[in-house]
Amino acid sequence: VRETAKSPVRTKRWTRLEYERLIDLGAFAPDERLELLGGQLVVREPQGRPHATGIRLVARALRAVFGPDWNIEAHLPVALDEESEPEPDIAVVTGGPRDYIESHPSRPELVVEVALASLALDRGEKASLYAGLEWQTIGSSTWSRTSWRYTGSRWLTRTGPMAGATRRRQPFAGATR
Amino acid sequence: MAVSSVRTKHWTRVEYERLIDLGAFRPGERLELVGGAVVVREPQGGPHATAVGLTEDALRQAFGAGWTVRTHSPIALDEDSEPEPDIAVVPGSRRDHRRVHPSHPVLIVEVADSSLEFDRREKASLYARAGIADYWILNLGGQALEVYREPVPAPYARYGHRYGATITLSAGDTVCPLSAPTVAVLVADLLP
Repeated sequence: VRETAKSPVRTKRWTRLEYERLIDLGAFAPDERLELLGGQLVVREPQGRPHATGIRLVARALRAVFGPDWNIEAHLPVALDEESEPEPDIAVVTGGPRDYIESHPSRPELVVEVALASLALDRGEKASLYAGLEWQTIGSSTWSRTSWRYTGSRWLTRTGPMAGATRRRQPFAGATR
Repeated sequence: MAVSSVRTKHWTRVEYERLIDLGAFRPGERLELVGGAVVVREPQGGPHATAVGLTEDALRQAFGAGWTVRTHSPIALDEDSEPEPDIAVVPGSRRDHRRVHPSHPVLIVEVADSSLEFDRREKASLYARAGIADYWILNLGGQALEVYREPVPAPYARYGHRYGATITLSAGDTVCPLSAPTVAVLVADLLP
């Protein structure tokens, strides 16, 4: 990717609609883990145990604070923009499980990526994609940051109390360091 | 978006051909599969299109009967590549390849303006890996023909191979294709 980025040659940029059509046509192998980021088909790396554990912890914590009117989704597609359909580690979307049978949710309330090897990607390109969503569409941001750090033996969570955090209207409201 | 430090989907040639059969691409899209990546071919300007036509005419005359000179047609080059070079010379008649794309042209020519660096590095290494014996780049900016021969392994090249012999010819020079060694092609006849 890096080599071709330097040369004048462009790789094909897929639109989200093209990508969804490829999925419908069965163009990908069943065990392929891909997501569409900015027009590029990015391969998701296999998950280690710390990563999987992180996702479970995040899901459990968020389920407790958001309650029954929200879906806490792990690795489900988000119809983010014209050229992006990521499958975040966790996305919090409003409504019930059948609300998205016609189209994937596009405006999650909260997205969490659990980062080990992918930290640079999650901080850079993905943060940029998700941030674009927040600023453009919601205006007053609902972005909140929760820091989860793996110490080598266990997960340290530095979220502080999340009570009453079902909707946040200020950046970083409810997030403590 | 500049994607760094991530792996993008690596397409095999079989997958890519299936995409074409499924109608996954828009009719006007000019694409080729290069080392697993679906690459967009830039639109051709007048000089580029003229050079392709001139080269096609010259090579058809040079090679004669028993050969087919194809332009912008797919080559089943290897497991993860299906390029569409500007020109490819293959043995046999046009109908020989109506079911399966040719895989081993005796000569490939790329006409280069903005794509010069890509043709020199990526394409040269790709064609060298596939054992293409005769590869030419018609460099429109430099008004020269670059001839690449003798593919050899090269661990640090993009696809692990490169051409061991390179010569740059100018308009007054002539070149004999490896597979038509008795015929001299005048470089000036290829330039627009």
